[in-house]
Amino acid sequence: MAPRENITRTLFNVIDELNQLRSTEEQLEKNLAAPLTGDSGRLDSAGLINLIVLTEQKTAEELGMPILLTDDRTMSQVKEVFGTLGTLAEYIQRLLNEKRDG
Amino acid sequence: MEIKTFTVADLRTALLSADFWHTKTLPITKHRAISFIHNPRADEDDPVLLVAYEESQVIGYLGILPDKLFVNDTVYKFGWLTSWWVDPSSATTGVGAILLFRALNAYQQELGVSGGSKDARKVLDASQKFMALKTLKGLDIKFRLNVTGAILRKRPALNIFRIVFKIFDDVMDEIVNLRNFFWKRRNDICQGLTFEYISSIDEETGQFIQQHHHYDLTRKEKADFNWIMMYPWILSAPLKDSSGKKYYFSSRSNRFFYLGVKVFAQDNQLIGFFMLKVRDDRMSLVYSYFESQHALSITAAVVYHALAMDVSALSLYDQQLVASFPELRCPYWSAKEISREFSLSKALADVPLTNYRLHGGDGDLAFY
Repeated sequence: MAPRENITRTLFNVIDELNQLRSTEEQLEKNLAAPLTGDSGRLDSAGLINLIVLTEQKTAEELGMPILLTDDRTMSQVKEVFGTLGTLAEYIQRLLNEKRDG
Repeated sequence: MEIKTFTVADLRTALLSADFWHTKTLPITKHRAISFIHNPRADEDDPVLLVAYEESQVIGYLGILPDKLFVNDTVYKFGWLTSWWVDPSSATTGVGAILLFRALNAYQQELGVSGGSKDARKVLDASQKFMALKTLKGLDIKFRLNVTGAILRKRPALNIFRIVFKIFDDVMDEIVNLRNFFWKRRNDICQGLTFEYISSIDEETGQFIQQHHHYDLTRKEKADFNWIMMYPWILSAPLKDSSGKKYYFSSRSNRFFYLGVKVFAQDNQLIGFFMLKVRDDRMSLVYSYFESQHALSITAAVVYHALAMDVSALSLYDQQLVASFPELRCPYWSAKEISREFSLSKALADVPLTNYRLHGGDGDLAFY
């Protein structure tokens, strides 16, 4: 199982890549508590999709386990899952645990 | 946030539900919903509309137009994305992304996109779920200047000078009429042609289309054309109605209609069929069927109709007609190259797509 720190490191790498696609004013913080979506969030639909795609890619590459963040289950709780990097890390942890437990 | 998926059957029920039409923003107009219900390529349980609600109000929606791809003898069911809207005040809720992924999931990831706004393209590109299918290259031919419309659309404050612009347009129109008159006298391409107009596809036309649509990616048939003509998304009406004010996309125009034109040669042989869409002062050729040797005659026939209907501009996407247009040497102000992009989701990457044809009305483009 991937330790939580590894998931966080992977997500910070995602943010680094995502920030390369964004202007200086739109940069995202590498902070687990900073809001991503919602009223104070900084991600519009294209930004959220970039985050999802990069997270799926990086999780497979760096943690060695592919996860799916575009299924109906995830899409029915976008607010909860993508609220902050912290909530996203928690969700990824849960998905990886489920994979491990079969 | 709640996402509701409406199948054809659900939409049929929603049409009769007062609650569905009482939201501040409408996710669809009634006539567009009726069109969705009558799509001959849609099954009752096909999802056709996804709506995002927040506290019972609509904050986003996405339509899907079920269609079929025909490759050799294999038919692939899929859907075209259409009318995708997100309330700007909800832009950071991820609703656009949720709608897109829900639509992909509902169609086993098999969707297509025709045209689309810059914002929509940005989101689709970001998803990495789509691949370019084809860019249709066409011509936008300007027959009349319509300075009044062009200026007032950009600068409504200049409305006080409307009369001056109008006089200028009238003078220019007379010059155009004169040029057209001499061109028609000189030009004998259309001399032997006769036309028959249809508002629904008859047997003869249906058979003619069938004989000429083998390489068409979506192989439209009689039922499809009748559906497009009978259930338009835009109605001819002088003023915005109540639902038009609550719906983001077009629901009315001062003038909107389709016209099916059968073209006969001197020996009374049917040599072509095309379907025109006229919206205000613009005409588009949405579908056309003919043998290659008649391309010039069909181009001439289309141009004759554009001139006869006093439209300012004509859009053509048929490659043979676009290539034939310069040969006509007809009078026009400008001919600008235009293009329309078509994409398919990568889930359809294995479909052996070679030597196929797309029309200017494919996807949802016949409806706007």
